Amino acid sequence: MTKFLAILKREYNTRVRTKMFIVATVLGPLMILLFTVVPALIFSLKAGGPTRLAVVDESERMYERVRGSLLNERGEDEGGAPAEKPAMPAPNTNAQERMRQAGEAVRATFDVRQVPLGGRSLDSIQQELNEQVLKDQLDGYVIIPKSVLESGEIEYNGRNTGDVVTSNQIRERISSAVRDQRMADNKINPQLMDEINKPVRMVTNKVTETGREQDSGQGFAFVFIVGFLIYITIIMYGQVVLAAVVEEKETRIAELLFSSVRSFPLLIGKLIGVSLVALTQLAIWALAFGAFAMWGVNALSASGLSISLPHIPASFFVYFFLFFLLGYFIYATFYALVGSMVTTTQEGGQVSMPVLFLLIMGFYLAFPVIRSPGSPLAFWVSMIPFFSPITMIVRIVTQTPPAWQILLSLAIGYATVVFLMWLAARIYRIGMLMYGKRATIPEVLRWVKQA
Amino acid sequence: MKEETGSTLTLTGVTKRFDEFTAVNDLSLRVRPGRIFGLIGPNGAGKTTTIRMIVNITAPDEGTIELFGQQINPELQDRIGYLPEERGLYKKMKVIDQLRFFGELKNVKGKNADEAIDRWLARVKLTEWKNKKAMELSKGMQQKIQFIAAVMHDPDLMILDEPFSGLDPVNQEVLKEIVLELKAAGKTIIFSTHQMEMAERLCDDICMINRSNKVLDGTLREIKRSFGRNAVALRLEGDGQRVLDDTALVAKVEQHSDEMEALLAEGVDAQELLRQLVASGARVTKFELVEPSLNDIFIEKVGEVE
Repeated sequence: MTKFLAILKREYNTRVRTKMFIVATVLGPLMILLFTVVPALIFSLKAGGPTRLAVVDESERMYERVRGSLLNERGEDEGGAPAEKPAMPAPNTNAQERMRQAGEAVRATFDVRQVPLGGRSLDSIQQELNEQVLKDQLDGYVIIPKSVLESGEIEYNGRNTGDVVTSNQIRERISSAVRDQRMADNKINPQLMDEINKPVRMVTNKVTETGREQDSGQGFAFVFIVGFLIYITIIMYGQVVLAAVVEEKETRIAELLFSSVRSFPLLIGKLIGVSLVALTQLAIWALAFGAFAMWGVNALSASGLSISLPHIPASFFVYFFLFFLLGYFIYATFYALVGSMVTTTQEGGQVSMPVLFLLIMGFYLAFPVIRSPGSPLAFWVSMIPFFSPITMIVRIVTQTPPAWQILLSLAIGYATVVFLMWLAARIYRIGMLMYGKRATIPEVLRWVKQA
Repeated sequence: MKEETGSTLTLTGVTKRFDEFTAVNDLSLRVRPGRIFGLIGPNGAGKTTTIRMIVNITAPDEGTIELFGQQINPELQDRIGYLPEERGLYKKMKVIDQLRFFGELKNVKGKNADEAIDRWLARVKLTEWKNKKAMELSKGMQQKIQFIAAVMHDPDLMILDEPFSGLDPVNQEVLKEIVLELKAAGKTIIFSTHQMEMAERLCDDICMINRSNKVLDGTLREIKRSFGRNAVALRLEGDGQRVLDDTALVAKVEQHSDEMEALLAEGVDAQELLRQLVASGARVTKFELVEPSLNDIFIEKVGEVE
């Protein structure tokens, strides 16, 4: 027992006392923000100034409305946006949908000028405009034909037609201008039309055992962050275990260790020691989050910025703890095995690819599970021990399954952990003492039988 | 005699196989307390495998290993100090932390451990490196730290696998002194090497293995005596060549730089050669019965099998 504790203590102390740990602890939450928020922002980001747009108005009566609409003088929500756009972002939508919404939030801006027809033919005007586009005096131009009110067709010619955000904006804003013109022609009061077109507002409530809670969108973000946190922490600390095992093998310290300790306490001491490092880090994050929830949110709302954090029941932390440890021990044991089979860290990276693949699969399975947490697929993937640490916690957050399912998932998972550790302890010692070449799978299987 | 009664370690018919390959075949040996026992043999002979079984890292397929009068078991590991041939340290850990850790693995903790560490660091002149990381140490220094890790818990049996490789002559001498001190303190030492000169200078007993099999064992004295090849180292002034050419007397003469080695013919007493040389009028300035070196024996025994 003393020896086991010595191993555990060493693994813990040598890692927690490093600069790396402090850096990772501080940067961790930032990384999560980076991975969740930044892709959406980058997608909607448009470098450079407003899009310079020329309008050729063949109908000779649309320009003023089109210009107004493009410059967005009428305000965003005044019927300009398509009616199907919900007033509030709906929860439980998938990530792509979120990104699209985020993209729309950042609106394109335009510089608009009219191209007078002056009796010239459309071809010659187009030729002139094309030249201007190529000389970079203009980003694009729109041709509004005479029959636009009937046919509803316009033409956009631009340098960068791959910028879908901008071309969508042009289409939407001109179509709003055309709609307004049609209404004016038919003597329909635009304000009345807006009233008619007003979309319904939906308040989303999550039904839980403690009653109804209003969920206005952070639900998804929270589930995503929880799944991602488990995923990234397991990868991070799995790699730590891999590196630790390879170091002991590479430097031949293993030989000295085995002359003092049995391989089982050695392996388990290592796994538990590193798990405590991970838990320390998660605890720091949880405390920081708690402190933010208690004081930070109040301070922010006092300064006018209101953030509503999702309500997290205490039982969630217990589940998170159990499922995180489950995932950690499954994958870290795999990583320790891989480490004992290979000769260098690089080789370890290659051989552990299938392990990583399993983990990534678990992460991606979280998405269908978020959308329909009660489906048979969600049930089955949350019973498979390689996926359950992510999928089951996602189910618990979105729509808590019956207790027996959670318990069954935990039971299967921890039984797997026990089996894997038993297997690993048999392979570990032989692998660690075999130098020079990488062990093959048939060899490893033979060791299991021999030991 | 005391050696006859007790034995620290006894291997009986020990065999270890890896798949088809037999690494150690039916090995029996006895290591007596308070002596330096040399386990010698060429690379790949099975030395390290034998040692791993003694340290209880692997178990023999056949045969028994008895240590300190008990069947080998994990508890006995604390009474062994092992310096493996393939050795290393945690690169980024401070010397003091590593040694504390290795001490704890042998159940030496707290003040006892710190005292032992300080004493040994001073002994190998590395005190000022105590708070340095292992990666900052030279290879020789690291090796001395590894030696401390093997000896700091005051084991009754020390197993040193190629302890001198990688050390400069000065440090080889320091280590040799320490080994002799440990022996004087009554510790038993198993010393594995393929460097015969070192084995010859240190060992009381020898077990030579080659290709998984024991080829020879006994005290160094006995072994050398049984390998007496009847050779004489000679330095002559004047004419003794006639005597040396007599094939009834001398089988072969090897000329060295300033002396020669004469191998006597079968059944000839060295005394007879001396008498003949003196009678021939040659002036004998050196006449010495040559013992075979361990290296000669090694080459002869290992060569035999090839």
